[in-house]
Amino acid sequence: MSLVKAERRRFFKRRMTVWMLVIGLAILGAIGAGFVATHSKHTPEAVAAGEAKAKAAYAKEVREFEDKWKKECEATSKDPAACQGPPAEYFTAEHYMKPEFDFKLFYGEILIIWAAIMAMIAFVLGATYIGAEWSSGAMMNLLTWRPKRISVLGTKLGVLLGSMAAIGTATLLLWTGMLWGIAKVAGHTNGMTGSAWGSFGLAGLRGVAMIMAFAALGFGLASLGRHTALALGVAIGVVIVGQIGLSIVLAMADVPFFERYLIPVHMDAWLKKSVELEGGGYTCGPSGCIPEAVSELTYKTSGLIGLAVVVAVTALAFWSIKRRDVA
Amino acid sequence: MTSSVLEIKGLKKTYRSRGGPRRALDGFDMHVEAGQVHGFLGPNGSGKTTTLRTLLGLIKSDGGEMRILGSELPEALPKVVSQVGAIVESPQFFANFTARDTLSLLADAGDLPQSRVDWAFELVGLRDRANERVKTYSLGMKQRLAVASALLKQPRLLILDEPANGLDPGGIREMREMMATLSAGGMTVVLSSHILSEIQVICDQVTIISLGRRVAYGPVSEVLAAHSTGQVKVVLESAVDLGLAASVLMNAGLAATVNGDHLLVSGVDKPASISRALAAQQLYVAELTPQHADLESVFLELTGTAPVPGQHRSVDDSVRVESGQ
Repeated sequence: MSLVKAERRRFFKRRMTVWMLVIGLAILGAIGAGFVATHSKHTPEAVAAGEAKAKAAYAKEVREFEDKWKKECEATSKDPAACQGPPAEYFTAEHYMKPEFDFKLFYGEILIIWAAIMAMIAFVLGATYIGAEWSSGAMMNLLTWRPKRISVLGTKLGVLLGSMAAIGTATLLLWTGMLWGIAKVAGHTNGMTGSAWGSFGLAGLRGVAMIMAFAALGFGLASLGRHTALALGVAIGVVIVGQIGLSIVLAMADVPFFERYLIPVHMDAWLKKSVELEGGGYTCGPSGCIPEAVSELTYKTSGLIGLAVVVAVTALAFWSIKRRDVA
Repeated sequence: MTSSVLEIKGLKKTYRSRGGPRRALDGFDMHVEAGQVHGFLGPNGSGKTTTLRTLLGLIKSDGGEMRILGSELPEALPKVVSQVGAIVESPQFFANFTARDTLSLLADAGDLPQSRVDWAFELVGLRDRANERVKTYSLGMKQRLAVASALLKQPRLLILDEPANGLDPGGIREMREMMATLSAGGMTVVLSSHILSEIQVICDQVTIISLGRRVAYGPVSEVLAAHSTGQVKVVLESAVDLGLAASVLMNAGLAATVNGDHLLVSGVDKPASISRALAAQQLYVAELTPQHADLESVFLELTGTAPVPGQHRSVDDSVRVESGQ
């Protein structure tokens, strides 16, 4: 327990931890501010103001049509009776009002914003937490106090995962509270039944699990390379080559459902329980366009892939610390 | 009655790298008795740090036996590690943590009372600077902090790799006095250093390693005596008489050579016989000094690392010794 206490103290004492959390919270706060700025509650006064704006806009458009375009239309059109100007139903109050923030509709859709930001932070914290120890020689020093390497690395990983679970849960509650507040100020919370909360809770827990997985991944990679740079280098390589590059190549090659190979799509599937991938072109008709083929990616598939990657990397890290000399 | 605190027999370690295997330890032996301050000397790349790291379980050996406090390593290391304090190659600490945080975290990791932290700061002279960030520390202060971290356990065996590195002369003297105090209190100290004059003053015994093998060991005085030339330096009142004096001494059965402004006389049982022989010829001695070997010259001789004018020595250009001497 003493090493757990020491590691927990060290984790939260690190400037990197403090700064990454401050930056993460600032980004989440800025996103919240953006939602507040772009949404508003549809009060009777706001609806009346929207209707007035719509009416004025319609009148302006009709005037402009009659002054400038009506004669031209009647002269050139085969059916002069059709030259009636813009239809009134296009000018509804909603078009002249900020949308409402619908908590129930938006929460699941934008959960990935919180999860992705916190996952990135978790990856960096996991990588620097162990990477800095290896590169500074502090790990070697600690091993002269605690010569059981597997136990030391396991304790560090455990503390990291525990801390990230706590941080993930705390930020999830803050995120949920912020969105709830935004809905109260600039929208509504209609339809939030017990089952809706249960569903959001499970999605949030999957988000916390994803954050922990990214922390373990950063930790494992940095431990394998015994330097933070290895984890960050792999991350940059995966994003640039494995994601941006791969998506361009696969799209050019017309590979069906190439989104299956992209990490953000798996993250989305994990959080939303499933995503529908469309492929093979579209068939368009009077009612719109429908994809010729659809494939579903479920959270179970994405979860298993993610788990396999995390287990493989951390297992390699443990194998490496057991086998390699500390020099 | 003394007992062994540290025993190493036939320790072997070969590093494998792209440049081919490199034998860092080649059957190295070492023996340290309780309560000693034991000097561990060797040129760069001789295997000192590999030995210390192997002892501390950081490196796996390819063969040989190691014991600390009677327990076989590396199996029993977790059991005895609480009694071994060590710094290996100036450990770096987190620059943005204060020195107090640094030691406090180590005390937590080692399940030690926090009161030890102040005790260790007091001992290394950092008490008044303990709350400053490590990044504001000089090299010497970081070294003191490293020593404090090793002392935190109040160990029975203290292993210090270059503890005087970066210390000012006052700091070196303080370090020397601290080690004497710790040793007097029953702590065994293994000290690796390149400041040979310090080793000569501080240490009871030494082990000298070269190319992964022990080339000399034992009490400092015995190691020096074994490599003493037995020569006597003779300075006369008048340097113009050096040639005549050399002839007089050779006639008396001594081997004398002119060496600049003085004579070097070998094969002398009693230095007084020199002054008697010269005085009989009215040649008067101004200075008569037995030539003792110092640790530096013994070290350079044993490891073959003495600088040669016009040559650049590689770190691996040391003496190959076929068996322990």
